[in-house]
Amino acid sequence: MNLIDMIFIVDDDPIHQQIAKIMIERQGISSNIRVFSDAQEVLDYFRENTKEAAALPDLILLDLNMPVMDGWEFLDEYAGFQAELPKSIKIFVLTSSIDEKDKERVRSYSFVSGYLTKPLSKEIISHLS
Amino acid sequence: MNIAMLDQHYRHLQHLEAAINACALSVSVNADGTISSVNNLMLNALQLPVSAIEGQLFEAILIPVNRDQWTAIVQKIAGGAAVQEQIGFLINGITPLWIEAGINPVFDDNGQLAQFLLIGLNITERKLSELRIQEDEQYFRQILENLPIGLQQFSPEGISMEMNSRQREIWGQDHPFLRQPDYNWLQDPQYRLNGLTRLFEEVREGRKTQKREILLNYTEKHYDDITRIYPVYFEATVFPVVDKQSNMANLFLILDDITEKKLAEISLQKSERLLDNIIENLPIGYIQFDNFGFIRRINQTQRNFFNSPHPAARRQFNVMNDEFATTFELDDLFQRALQENETIRLEKKVDFTKDARWTSVQREVYLDLTVFPVVNPIDKERIVVALVNDITDKKTQELENIKNQEFLLQTGQIGKIGGWELEVATNTIRWSDQAYHIHECLPGTPLTLDVLLNFYQTASRLNLAHHIETCIRTCKPFDVQLTFSLQKNIIKRIRCIGQADVTSGQPQRIYGVVQDITEQSAIRDALSRNTELMRLFFDTMDMGYAAMEPDGRLNFVNQKAEKMIGRKVPAGANIFEVFPKLSGTVFYARLQECIKQHTSQSFGIYFPLPDKWYDFLLTPMQDGGISVFIRDITESRKMQKELRKANDQLSNLNKNLVNQNKQLEDFAHITSHNLRAPIANLKALMQMHNEATSGQERELYLGMLHEVIKKIDETLNDLVEVVQIRKDVNVEKEKLYFADRLQKVKDILLVDIENSKIQITADFEKAPALVYSKVYLDSILQNFITNAIRYRSPERTPALRLQTWVENDAIILTVEDNGVGIDMERFGNKLFGFRKTFHKNKDAKGIGLFITKTQVEAMGGSIKAESKPGFGTKFIITFRPE
Repeated sequence: MNLIDMIFIVDDDPIHQQIAKIMIERQGISSNIRVFSDAQEVLDYFRENTKEAAALPDLILLDLNMPVMDGWEFLDEYAGFQAELPKSIKIFVLTSSIDEKDKERVRSYSFVSGYLTKPLSKEIISHLS
Repeated sequence: MNIAMLDQHYRHLQHLEAAINACALSVSVNADGTISSVNNLMLNALQLPVSAIEGQLFEAILIPVNRDQWTAIVQKIAGGAAVQEQIGFLINGITPLWIEAGINPVFDDNGQLAQFLLIGLNITERKLSELRIQEDEQYFRQILENLPIGLQQFSPEGISMEMNSRQREIWGQDHPFLRQPDYNWLQDPQYRLNGLTRLFEEVREGRKTQKREILLNYTEKHYDDITRIYPVYFEATVFPVVDKQSNMANLFLILDDITEKKLAEISLQKSERLLDNIIENLPIGYIQFDNFGFIRRINQTQRNFFNSPHPAARRQFNVMNDEFATTFELDDLFQRALQENETIRLEKKVDFTKDARWTSVQREVYLDLTVFPVVNPIDKERIVVALVNDITDKKTQELENIKNQEFLLQTGQIGKIGGWELEVATNTIRWSDQAYHIHECLPGTPLTLDVLLNFYQTASRLNLAHHIETCIRTCKPFDVQLTFSLQKNIIKRIRCIGQADVTSGQPQRIYGVVQDITEQSAIRDALSRNTELMRLFFDTMDMGYAAMEPDGRLNFVNQKAEKMIGRKVPAGANIFEVFPKLSGTVFYARLQECIKQHTSQSFGIYFPLPDKWYDFLLTPMQDGGISVFIRDITESRKMQKELRKANDQLSNLNKNLVNQNKQLEDFAHITSHNLRAPIANLKALMQMHNEATSGQERELYLGMLHEVIKKIDETLNDLVEVVQIRKDVNVEKEKLYFADRLQKVKDILLVDIENSKIQITADFEKAPALVYSKVYLDSILQNFITNAIRYRSPERTPALRLQTWVENDAIILTVEDNGVGIDMERFGNKLFGFRKTFHKNKDAKGIGLFITKTQVEAMGGSIKAESKPGFGTKFIITFRPE
């Protein structure tokens, strides 16, 4: 039973990529999971597939602290084109930061569905769907 | 001969007679001299009836003009000869009749003269004309002969042909002209010398009359025993005379004695030159205007006075319309002199600074001007002459004298000084107005010595009487102060100075000044009191004070200052002598500054021997003296020093605290970000491991756990290194040469450098060394080289340029590569962050620049970066100045 068709995990930490992928698959939320090491890769993907709803994810788990392009930059870029997307995409920030300033800043992006702190757990995953 | 032939002859004769009668006069005269017949033309010529002619004596009717000629003719006729001559007659002794006559005798058969026949043409008119010409010629010749000027005719070759009496007189009887007929004056050097022959030749060549003045010779005049030689001047005129064929026939020389005129002219010229010379050398300026107002002449004095560098400059000057002249009303003067024909004399102040066109005097001058009209004796033109005398000096002196007098009067009034004199013989006193005023006595009141003495109080009176008496006796001058009372009990003090005017050993008069010194006396008294007060004031001050002259002479030193100096200071002593410790300090230089700038100077001097700090304040006073204030600030200096030390310590402490606080904040951030992530992974993996259903699954999680733990270990090690750097505040420092350290690092990275082919260049010439931690500097250099290799651009050979120099006492190191560069807009704020990477380089851990920054800042320096993606990066490190 796939509750979510496609999930993008965006994180530079390879261990975390593996953990998140295994946990989501084990919970049966989705079997279509794509992993990206930095936000620039996701942005490039979006630019190539803007019009194809089927190619777009339904949910994104986004880390903040990444090389090349971090989560913040991605959110700024995404804000510019999200209204034009053929479907609505849930974005959750998934970070190890417990800094209140980061939480506050994330809240300023209205299209972000939630701020999740690592580690990822069954409870968190069950709430994603 | 037949009748026919006779008849023919007769008719022929008749024709002949008729022809003769038609054009000629004829008269037949008998041998006795009576007229037998006349023809009609003769009758017409005689204007007499036939009856009055025929039978009359021929010589009575026609009287021969030339008796000798007629007598000769009659004799010839009587001799039987025919005569043909021009004969003049006077009809009735009055009317002339000239006949071109042919006279033929007619003889009778006996051969005796019977008649003579006179036939002739009437040539009276022509003959009279000829005679007139002859007469005229004779007349003119006579005139020429007797002309008062010399006239001489020459052939074109120069041979004298004729001359008149005057010319003969000029040349003299012995002249070759009169003695040698072939004398040619053109070959005579004398006339070559005086120019006469040259003149002759010029006329001969030019065929035009020419005139020249010639000094012909000298004449002697005898006055008793004295012989004087005078020059003889002639005006020589040579003119040509040509014949009808325009050939040069003759040349004439006219000599006119102009000696008198010439001598007069020379005399006039001499007079003119003398006058010129006088005018030119007049000690006053001379300006001559024409009646239009243009300057015609300026003499030397005036030229010097105007100092006009260009004489041409005044050519356009016209006194009537020149702006400068009209400004100073010189045009009015000119006009008045010209129109009213009067001489004007006045003094005028003229400001030459207002005109630079025709004078360079450029100052204000006083002129004594005399302007008068003069009629030019030659052309009767009226001219105006201005005599100019520069009286500036005199006038200035006059004005100065007036000023001085006024000044004396004013100063006398202000200073209340009057003059007095005593005439010893009469005992009378003369006072100046001011002296009367001082004594409050009506000016002009007659005074004697007794009256004068009565003005003063008894003691003063006796004193003055004594001094005057002594002065008269011994000529000893005196200077005394006297007192006298006025009404309302007002006391006046005066100073009276007197001295004798000695002539022939005995003083005739005593003279001097009196000065009202009432106020001065009062002021002097007050001043004395004030001085005493001031002394008391300065002595009570807790500060040294000295009043001194600019050369260091002390006028006053208060007790406190004497204490500082260590001894009593006499007035007049020099500060550098009584206070020798001042020598070699800034005191002298600051004193000079105070005198020169006339500003107060404040400075401190430390005297090591007594271990004292003194604060000095030098203040210039209005009278040129200097006030010196000295304050012992040893205690406050010491306290100040302590305080500054404590302050510095506090400041350092504060700085360290702020630094540590910042580091703590950074560290908390690093911990939260870089330690929480692997811990979270650990936590998740542990949960997954515990819930794993298979051993294989657990193995997978254990392997992942191992990875996470390894990463945690790395992170902790990095953090420990950073903490160590930050903690190690007193890291060992030594003098390091950049070149040495670079070489050392290059040796360590030899393999990487060679593989990457990076070209490293350096210029440490401007700042070759610094005092720093060797470990840190090596680490910094190694990190930059590693980064340059790691982030090199695949498009070009990697290069790294290091350079040092000094700026604001700090050593600057720049490290510039040509690598891929960093987008500073995006990553600038994270560049030196912990575990921040911006490239997908697998070796990038995001720790190198963080460590470098930590090492630079731990030593008090700073680091910044400039970069442009695709072009390279430049790091600028500023090391803290030592």
